[in-house]
Amino acid sequence: MDINTYKAQKSGYYKILGGLLLLTAVTLIQPYMFLENATFGIQLMIGAVKAWLIVMYYMHLKGETLIGWTVGFALALVIFFFAVVMTDVHHFQFKDISYISEQHVSAGEHTQHHEE
Amino acid sequence: MSHEEHGHEYVPEIATARDGKQYEVQGWQGDFYGGKLGFWLFMLTEVMMFGAMFLTLTYYFSLHHDDFIEASSEFSVLLGGTNTVVLLISALTMGLGLLKMRAGDVKGAKLMIYATMILALVFLAIKGVEWTEDYHDGVFLGLPALQAGNPDSRPLGEILFFGMYFTMTGLHGFHIILGIGLMLWLLKRINAGKVTPEHHILHFNIALYWDLVHLIWVFVFPYFYMIGAGHGH
Repeated sequence: MDINTYKAQKSGYYKILGGLLLLTAVTLIQPYMFLENATFGIQLMIGAVKAWLIVMYYMHLKGETLIGWTVGFALALVIFFFAVVMTDVHHFQFKDISYISEQHVSAGEHTQHHEE
Repeated sequence: MSHEEHGHEYVPEIATARDGKQYEVQGWQGDFYGGKLGFWLFMLTEVMMFGAMFLTLTYYFSLHHDDFIEASSEFSVLLGGTNTVVLLISALTMGLGLLKMRAGDVKGAKLMIYATMILALVFLAIKGVEWTEDYHDGVFLGLPALQAGNPDSRPLGEILFFGMYFTMTGLHGFHIILGIGLMLWLLKRINAGKVTPEHHILHFNIALYWDLVHLIWVFVFPYFYMIGAGHGH
């Protein structure tokens, strides 16, 4: 690797660091400053942008055709899996009797329920 | 600057056949692209594993929205945010280390690996402080607050939230510890002349691993620390 390539790549690393630090700052102030009612969605969107920067530049996926498609396919499978499962559990037929879907069970009620 | 100046010449692995002839072992060191592709496939299994956990978390969040927000507001954004920045800088030092290795500066590469290890230990120390505080606050795996059906029980959604928190940050912390071990091994291989500017696939893959650990935290942090930020406490 020649000295110019080294300097250019080093400069690239610092630029990405700057971008990631900026996005981290936005992550930290967003719930207190703006769009407070959409925190979950905003936070995940910022996370996705940070992930894209990390994968493309720090993990050197930019320009990698075969590995890029492999990663893309695997991520598409994960998203498909997410979508199918979330759709399925949205129509969960045992919601009323499921333990994990019990809402705010106080200790007393819970014990009484089991004693019955 | 060349690696010869630092006395780090590549030492090939030699195997002796039954007839006494010696051959150079052609492992992953000699197949950079194959080594890289193989490691990406391994990392995809990690993404699947953590992906399943995030899916579970999302499902529980959809069922117990208010409990999740309430539980999340108890975490220290300062400590979690500090750890986020620590990991971010460690990803930079790891990347710069690889860059220095590729440029022939083996000594500089080793210094960057040491810097990454120190930052990893700082991350673990902060995480240790957080877990200790949680324990003293009565919120820890196995304590009555996180067991359903007793007078000290937290609401079910909070029990699920904290259960997922300790499971996922614990697994992530385990990956940090594994990363430190991998970096120690990498230093050993560099000192033995097995990893050099011409044969640096091991360094490349361990840097990829470290970026993956960082990547997972990029989603763990907002999911646990930020969704409840700005809601009391």
